[in-house]
Amino acid sequence: MNVGGFATGPHPELELSAYVDGELAGEALARIEAHVLACDACRASVDDLRAVTTTARALVDARPATDLWPGIARRIGAVPPLEFPQHARRQAPAVMRIRRAGWRISLSWPQLLAAAACVAVLSGGAVWWGLTSQSATIREAGGLGGSVQATAADYEIQRYDSAVADLQAVLDHNHDRLDPETVRTVESNLAIIDAAIAQARRALLADPSNPYLNGHLADQMKRKIRVLQQTADAVTADYTGPS
Amino acid sequence: MEHSRPGVTPPSVPESARSRGGDARDVALAAAGDADAFRRLYEAQVGRIHSLARRMLGYDLADEATQDVFVRAWQKLGTFRGESAFGTWLFRLAVNLMLTRRAQLAVKRGREVVDDELLGLQPDRSRPETLGMDFETAIGRLPEGARQVFVLHDIEGYTHEEIARALGVTAGTSKAQLHRARLLLRRVLGKG
Repeated sequence: MNVGGFATGPHPELELSAYVDGELAGEALARIEAHVLACDACRASVDDLRAVTTTARALVDARPATDLWPGIARRIGAVPPLEFPQHARRQAPAVMRIRRAGWRISLSWPQLLAAAACVAVLSGGAVWWGLTSQSATIREAGGLGGSVQATAADYEIQRYDSAVADLQAVLDHNHDRLDPETVRTVESNLAIIDAAIAQARRALLADPSNPYLNGHLADQMKRKIRVLQQTADAVTADYTGPS
Repeated sequence: MEHSRPGVTPPSVPESARSRGGDARDVALAAAGDADAFRRLYEAQVGRIHSLARRMLGYDLADEATQDVFVRAWQKLGTFRGESAFGTWLFRLAVNLMLTRRAQLAVKRGREVVDDELLGLQPDRSRPETLGMDFETAIGRLPEGARQVFVLHDIEGYTHEEIARALGVTAGTSKAQLHRARLLLRRVLGKG
């Protein structure tokens, strides 16, 4: 029954979607059709629902804003080794290992801790390194004597410096492969990290045996390696030559 | 099947005979470890997969989920027997992976979006070109259940029975969620 464009009885809310989708048949279809014909509100709802479904079907697939292939290539091991600058190969081949998925600087946290401690020593810190017997690196090495410890730590700081230099050289060599925005971001992050390293070193001058400061310095050094490594990875992943 | 979820068989992806032939060659090459061939498959499918991810999981997770899909596809290429088009197989894998991700997310955030948020997405009628974007954004803000059903039914063409199996709900629940989603989205179109 229709009174001035309004059908009597409850509005068939849920069934309107089924009606729009053509899922109704028989008696149910006849009932809803009759209601929609008689009910202005439900007729408007049907029009709205059809507009939504039409819009949904018309949506266009879009590619991602950034190229996701480099990340995929890295994860499936499809990235070839990066071309190294000659001087980087000469400087410290021992700290690099080339593998199919790219290349990695392999400095562990204990090694960086040792390097950080060495920084403290080289920064004019007292004889903490030589006096302590608690260094993780040294424990791993089997309790070496103080002078040998200093030598080992000195070796680690050399490895760290070499690693940073190598990564920096790779980035410099492949500078044009990175977009300027990425370069700016990396440089900004490195500046922050370098400031933190400098700050930690200054603090260690006053308190060279402070375990927190040594750990913090090692963290910052590792952070710097990580930023450089990730950037080198990005350069590597952009490589599109044969794998 | 990708995981223990019943899974769904998506509508076939329309693909020309030429693209099917090219896909078949590239699939064979990729299955043998040819990353260049796999990249060609990626280039052909990434738009569809990323759009699915964006709509089902949101912008924030779409990139990561898309990469996960292709990495998983690379790992499982050996199981692709060519009974369907590669695009159809990949899409099924993507849907199942995203449903799993969605279930994990639902536990984490238990997110519900109130209608007022959708009201805030009323399109700028003076700029018709923004309408599609507003609609996509609004889809992303639907309540989880309504969003999954809407994407799978109204955009991807799944039936309520298929959706019910995939989501572990009844067909009636799927219908109710779809209607809810449509009612919310019609406001974005300036209706309702």
